[in-house]
Amino acid sequence: MSFPFANNKMFPANHKTVFVLDHTPYFGISCESPIEFEFLKTRGPGFIPLNPISKSLWTCSVESAIEYCRIVWDLFPQGKLVRFIASDTVAHILNTWSPTQQNLNHIMNGMSLIGVPPPPPSRSVQPGLDFTVLHGLRAAIEALSECTDLQHEKRKAIAAGDDQVTLVNRCRVVCITSARDNDSMKRLEEIFQNVLQQQNKVAASSDRFLTIDHCHLVIINTFPVNIESHVSNHAVRHLSPILKTEVHSVKAPFISNKLSSLILDHYDLASTTVTGIPMKEEQNASSSANYDVEIYHSKDAHTAILRGNSPDSLAIRTVKEGLEYETVTLKWCTPRGSATSELQNCTSMHRITPVDVNSRPSLCLINFLLNGRSVMLEMPRKAGGKISSHLLASHGGEIFIHTLCTARSVLEDPPSISEGVGGRVTDYRITDFGLLIQQNRLFPLRPSYNTEKVNSISKMKARLSRHTKYWPLTISSTLIFNLKNCIDPLPSIITKERITEEEVVQCKQVIYNLISLEAKHESLHLPNTGQRSKGQKREEQYKIMWNELETLLKNNCHTENHRAVYNCLIECHKFNSEDGTIDVDQALSFVDPLGKSDSDVQRASVIRATTDSPMSPPPLASIAPPLSRNILSNRSGSIYSSTPRTLYDIFTSQDKSKQRPDFAGRSDENKIAKLYPNLKIENEWGPRGEGMEVE
Amino acid sequence: MPAVILLDVSLSMLRPVNGSENSETTRKHLAIQGIGAFLDCLGVQSKLEFISLMTFSSFYQERCGFTRDYHLIKQELHNIEDCDKTCIETALVGVNQLILNEWGNNTACQIILITDGNPGIGPMSLKESLANISHRPANNPFPLPFVFPAKLHVVCIAPPNDTLLVKSKPLYQRLVDMCGYDGMVLIPENTLTESSVISLFQKLAEEMYTSFKGILKCGNLESKIILSPAPVPFTKVTDFDCQTQVVSDIIEVCGFIPIADVGSPMAVSRHLILPASMTNNKENVPLKMDVDTTVDDEADEGKIPSFCVLLHGALKVENMAALVTLGESWFGFVYSWADSKKKSNLMLTVLTPGSDAVPWLGDLNCLNTPDNLTPEQIGNFPVRPSEKRSYSQNGVVWIRQAGLQSDIQKILRHARKLPEKTQQFYKELNRLRKAAISLGFMELLTGLAYIFEQECTQLPGTAHPDCALQLTHAAELLRKTQNNDIKYVIIPMQTDYTTS
Repeated sequence: MSFPFANNKMFPANHKTVFVLDHTPYFGISCESPIEFEFLKTRGPGFIPLNPISKSLWTCSVESAIEYCRIVWDLFPQGKLVRFIASDTVAHILNTWSPTQQNLNHIMNGMSLIGVPPPPPSRSVQPGLDFTVLHGLRAAIEALSECTDLQHEKRKAIAAGDDQVTLVNRCRVVCITSARDNDSMKRLEEIFQNVLQQQNKVAASSDRFLTIDHCHLVIINTFPVNIESHVSNHAVRHLSPILKTEVHSVKAPFISNKLSSLILDHYDLASTTVTGIPMKEEQNASSSANYDVEIYHSKDAHTAILRGNSPDSLAIRTVKEGLEYETVTLKWCTPRGSATSELQNCTSMHRITPVDVNSRPSLCLINFLLNGRSVMLEMPRKAGGKISSHLLASHGGEIFIHTLCTARSVLEDPPSISEGVGGRVTDYRITDFGLLIQQNRLFPLRPSYNTEKVNSISKMKARLSRHTKYWPLTISSTLIFNLKNCIDPLPSIITKERITEEEVVQCKQVIYNLISLEAKHESLHLPNTGQRSKGQKREEQYKIMWNELETLLKNNCHTENHRAVYNCLIECHKFNSEDGTIDVDQALSFVDPLGKSDSDVQRASVIRATTDSPMSPPPLASIAPPLSRNILSNRSGSIYSSTPRTLYDIFTSQDKSKQRPDFAGRSDENKIAKLYPNLKIENEWGPRGEGMEVE
Repeated sequence: MPAVILLDVSLSMLRPVNGSENSETTRKHLAIQGIGAFLDCLGVQSKLEFISLMTFSSFYQERCGFTRDYHLIKQELHNIEDCDKTCIETALVGVNQLILNEWGNNTACQIILITDGNPGIGPMSLKESLANISHRPANNPFPLPFVFPAKLHVVCIAPPNDTLLVKSKPLYQRLVDMCGYDGMVLIPENTLTESSVISLFQKLAEEMYTSFKGILKCGNLESKIILSPAPVPFTKVTDFDCQTQVVSDIIEVCGFIPIADVGSPMAVSRHLILPASMTNNKENVPLKMDVDTTVDDEADEGKIPSFCVLLHGALKVENMAALVTLGESWFGFVYSWADSKKKSNLMLTVLTPGSDAVPWLGDLNCLNTPDNLTPEQIGNFPVRPSEKRSYSQNGVVWIRQAGLQSDIQKILRHARKLPEKTQQFYKELNRLRKAAISLGFMELLTGLAYIFEQECTQLPGTAHPDCALQLTHAAELLRKTQNNDIKYVIIPMQTDYTTS
């Protein structure tokens, strides 16, 4: 089931916006809307009131345009580009499409360089200078036919012959100017249309420029509050297939309100008013008053609650006072506990920005969120009760609105995992897997190292694969992993990608210790698992243990050093043929258990002699790889019968203990022999080595 | 996904079926048989699907709310009365209401419209509705397309050569097309008999509910799984791209992240991960299965260790989520989830395709383990964007007068507490000055200078001498137009009272 999507969502005009600001002398005049300074009125009688301060038309247009950008870049850090052009006798281009120049600081600094509009020219001086917004509009059209990074990428793909890729260059120009009357406004639109067509002709025969497929020209005609404008508004008009225009005539202090309404349309945004925010008063810290904060975000955040068109959604929509758009009012809900401790069922997620960024209530809400707390927003229901419809939360210094699922879930009343396959098994190796989880925790790269994007996910998969070469799911299906005190740290070393010589020695030590344990007839002490270990014969236990250890090591022969550990095991422990089928050797060992253990004792003592000293050379096995391979191929036979012989072999064969007398019980049928005559002595022989200090 | 069975109960449904041995057999009877077969199929392959039954004639009636108890629907089918005439638009209005109220606008649903090929006559007939579609009043639009993602199937209980059906089929097809999402118009093969209708419904059930079978993998550990509900292909539309992706049948773990760091990212959809039985391949099991054997099988399977169960247990204990790949640069999270009844489950949250799906986790393709990195390279969650947002930048906005007023008041507050607040006074002053220059608001600078001078005349006798000195100094510098460069910074006047 594939969902159809309206393709008109693609290639939106809001990818490229150019603000053209009129910087002609007229914009230097005051907007005649004095700023009130209430706090000055309370001054004493000697205070001479200050001359009223008013913003100029220029200040009004600059601050409104910058506010527009603030909202855009807060909500869409990438892919929504805005350029600024100021126009007087020439066009001043403040920034390019480059992402490095798409930020408020860059624009503010540029504006300070441009400064206030020039004074009106005295007629006699420089008659050639022509103050007009047209310079800016011409520059804007050229800017629109320049490629952005994203467009450049697509263009390259098309040039490379990828016919799946298409590119439509739609864009928008917002021009803040002042025209004398409707006629001059109409002329402005027509000139724009002509220049646009000219530019497209240039673009058609140029590699540098892109044809403008469609442009949306928004003209804001502005004037001081004490003047009547002769320019009337007109709604969107399609001047040609590639150009639509609209004109809004507003008094200078209201440019920002106008842009607020337009921006919602330009970027598919919606407004939410968070109501009932409890805030402590500075004067009266014990009580708190309730405040409202309005935020903007993508319209999609509201779809879930508004699309049903139910009476509930009608009740929360109101037209914003003094403005032209609707806001949805949702109630602040003081969070209980931490909403981040679980994954919420969140159907969409969008960045937000406060409409009035510096007001005290906004700051209060923002700081609350930036400090890591989250807020649920509630929607009242006509039928009574309320429902949590959204979650506000910050992540890494950015604030998001998460839309929560308010409808019934299809996942309702699911069968518990314990009711399905494997659900009744009670001895999963949960703790061990927890360890594996911790060993494979993911971390991000520091931003400074994030420049060359290396795909490390495949590496992680390889690593997990290495960590699970031999990984029994349950406690009862493994023996070695239950013998942590004997076998650690071998499992964690052997699954590494590379192991050092030192770690090889550590692993071998584990093997040697196991051998000596067996030699001393120590039972393998299992932690109190209550599992199969009970009643199991010691010999069998060892057999299982050796076989399992062999499987683990055989599966982890990642490097020569890994192989060295495996070879060490093969050399030190005599394996019978694969899969535990009983062969002659094994049968004999059952008949003659003591004889076997005797030889093990001998071996163990040899091993101790070679490993106890910290100065001892690296074990021979690791420096004799050809032999190791031989041993592998001869595995079913006796290890010691293999030629060629190494020093080690010679050493073992020369061992004087061979000359020991046979077991007393074998020498004479009638004699009663004492079992384990050496037990006491053996215990006094010396330290047992690590991992053997079990109870 | 939830489905509505929308059954026509108009009088024409009572027409006897030609050529059947049993003269009692009507189209309605066949429809009920067919629905029964459909529900039987679901009972075997998709037990967790919600089904609802609605009947319609000139009015609609919800007979059975959304339920997983298919037996309930079967029983209700026996209680259906016969009504007047077919009115499909009314039925669709009813479906729209029913689904919106229950599932909202995000859940994909299916609708099975079962009728007899007679689209009704006169006003409110399908032909009339479709003819007037472009001149509908805004407060009463045609219910299609639905506001939620929906797939419409029209099942016609009519012989393929039925003259009415031949005329109405294009109308049905138009409904299906308006709905989008490639639904079907289904007509029995060859003749209209009980068996042809039953096989038609069985085919539909298979078509509608092909369950997702895949493998959940973590290195060499793996488990055969079923996702419930089955994921649907996802189309991601960005400004410059439109790509449809299908969830791969190998879902592979690539590492683990604490739940608290994951946050609550946007999910395309969520699915239960159910371990699939290994021995019993349900595809090969006949539909009419003995109930007892199923129970036995399940009891045995419960004792076969499954990696899914192990993963669930460990994730729950560690409070972690597993990051999994669902396709090329498409990720999801697997974690332990409990419903209101504390029944714990393994859940898959499917993220939007792309390695940038969760901004605060950074590029998902670049996540790594500390073992592969140098200590300086290891970052932390959440990943912060390179640029601060406006609300954490302490920027200047004077669009509303209150903004400017509070900025000036703040400076004056500091002014009265000079010399302790000298640093703060000049910091705020320079901030305001810089903004005024950028906005071309020079009048503000001279105005502020004037305010400072007036402030000096109003100082109480107890004021520190620095107050007057610094205020006069600042006012003087504010008035100097050659200082209208943002790089210039007003620095405090150096005063030293210890020597005098």
